[in-house]
Amino acid sequence: MGAILSISSPNNIFEWMAFLAEKYSSMFLQGTWITLYVSVIGTIVGFILGYIVGIVGDIKIHKEDNPIKKGIIKFFKFICFLYVELFRGTPMIVQAMIVYFGLRQGGVNINPIIAGILVTVLNTGAYMSETVRAGIKSIDAGQREGALAMGMSPMQAMFYVILPQAFKNIIPEMANTFLTNLKMTSVLNVIGIQELFMQAKTVGGTYYKYFESYLVIALIYLVLCVAFNRLFLFIEKKMAGKKDYVLAVEYMEDKQ
Amino acid sequence: MSKNNEESIIEVKDLSKSFGDHEVLRKIDFEVKKGEVICILGSSGSGKSTLLRCVNKLETQTSGQVLYHGKEIRNVQKEINEFRSRVGMVFQSFNLFNNMTVLENCMEGARKVLHVSKEEAFDRAIKHLKEVGMAPYINARPEQLSGGQKQRVAIARGLCMNPEVLLFDEPTSALDPEMVGEVLNVMKELASSGLTMLIVTHEMDFAKNVSSRVLFMDKGYVVEDAPPEEFFTNPKNDRSREFLSRFIA
Repeated sequence: MGAILSISSPNNIFEWMAFLAEKYSSMFLQGTWITLYVSVIGTIVGFILGYIVGIVGDIKIHKEDNPIKKGIIKFFKFICFLYVELFRGTPMIVQAMIVYFGLRQGGVNINPIIAGILVTVLNTGAYMSETVRAGIKSIDAGQREGALAMGMSPMQAMFYVILPQAFKNIIPEMANTFLTNLKMTSVLNVIGIQELFMQAKTVGGTYYKYFESYLVIALIYLVLCVAFNRLFLFIEKKMAGKKDYVLAVEYMEDKQ
Repeated sequence: MSKNNEESIIEVKDLSKSFGDHEVLRKIDFEVKKGEVICILGSSGSGKSTLLRCVNKLETQTSGQVLYHGKEIRNVQKEINEFRSRVGMVFQSFNLFNNMTVLENCMEGARKVLHVSKEEAFDRAIKHLKEVGMAPYINARPEQLSGGQKQRVAIARGLCMNPEVLLFDEPTSALDPEMVGEVLNVMKELASSGLTMLIVTHEMDFAKNVSSRVLFMDKGYVVEDAPPEEFFTNPKNDRSREFLSRFIA
C-alpha cells in the first residue's frame, strides 16, 4: 500500500499512517504475528482447560457414592472453584505481571511469550468453564436420561450426547472469547512481548507520531476481528446442519 | 411355583421412595415374568412414573430392592449400566439424541454400550426401524419428525439393544390423539411378538386389550394386581372402582 504512494515527506494523518506502515511494515507484521500466535494458542488451550473445568463442575455427587470417591470429587471441585474465582476476580494485566515476575523471581527463566500464552490460557479457561457449564445446563435433562437409560456411563452420556449439543450452543460465546483475547493480548506489552501494541508504541516514538501509529494497529485489529468473526459465523452455519433430509426410498414399503 | 420363579426377570421387593418428607412409593412388591405385558395404571401423582424410574435406577429407592434374575442391583455404576443395557426405556418426551440422525440414534447404544460391530448395529437399526415403519427416515434428525414418529424411533432405539424388558413411561401422553394410535399399534405388535413390557399408561383400552396384568396404584401403594379381565370387570378395591367409573361408560 505504502509502496504505491511512496511518500517521503508525509503531511496529513493518512499520509503519516501510510508512511509509518510502509517504513515499519516488518515490525507491524511481526506484531500481528505474535498477537495471533499468543491469542490463537492461548484460546485453543484455554478452551480445552475451560471444558475440563466446566465438566468437573457438572459432576454430581450422589449420596450413595463411597466416601473416597466423594472426597476426590469434592477436592477437584474445590480446586476448580478456587481457580475460577481467582482468575475471574483479578485483571489480566495484573495476572501477567504476577505470573511473569513471580516465575522469574522463583528462578524460572521463562520466555515472555510463553508467560503470555500461559496467562491467556488460564484467563480463558476460567471464563470458558462458566460458559461450558451454562452450555451443559442448557441441554434438556431428558438427553442425559435417554443416554443413561440405555446403559451409557455418565461420562459416555457427557461426551457422546450432551457435549456435542452444548458445544454447538456455545459457539457464539466461544467466538466472543476469542475476539476478546485477540484484543486483550495488548496488555501483555507490560511483560515485554513484542505484540501489536508494543510495536505501535515503539514506531510512534521514533517520529513522535503516536496517534497515527495507533491508528494503524487499530485498523489491523479491526480487520483481524472482522475476518475471524466471519469465520466463526461460517462454522456456526456449517454446524447447524441441513434443514432438509433425504428419504431413504430403498426402505419404503408402499413403493410398488 | 419354582418354575415361575425361574422365569421372573425383574423383582421389586419392599420398595419405598421418599422425596424429603413426601413418601411417593410405599412398600411395593411385584415381579415381571418373561413375556408379560404389565400396565401400571393410576391417577396422576400416584407414583407410577417414579416406580418405573426406580426400576431402572434413574431414581434411587429409599429402601427395598430391585432384583434382576434374582440378583440385587446395587448402587454400583457398573452394575447399573449393565442392568440398564438389558432393560430399555421409552420416555414420555422421547429423549431422542438431538445431535444425531434417526439411524445414529438407533446405532449409538449398540455401538457404544454393547460394542457390536458397525455392520451389526446398522442391521439391527434397519430391522427395528422397519418394524416401527420408520426406516425411510434414517437420515432425518429428531426435530424434523412428528411426535408419533419420534416415539416410534425411540421404541426402535430401545429394541436395538435387544432388551429383555422394555419399560414405557407414558409413551403416548405427549402425543395428539391422531398419533397415539400409530404408537399403540407398534406396542401391540411388540406385545404379540412376546416382548416383555412394563408400561405406565393412561390408555385404558390398551391396558384392557393388550396387557396380561394390571397394577393399579394409589397414593404410593399398589392397591390391585390382577389380570385385566378381572380388574376391568370386577375390581376389588374401592379406589380402583372409582377410577374405572370415569373410563367405562
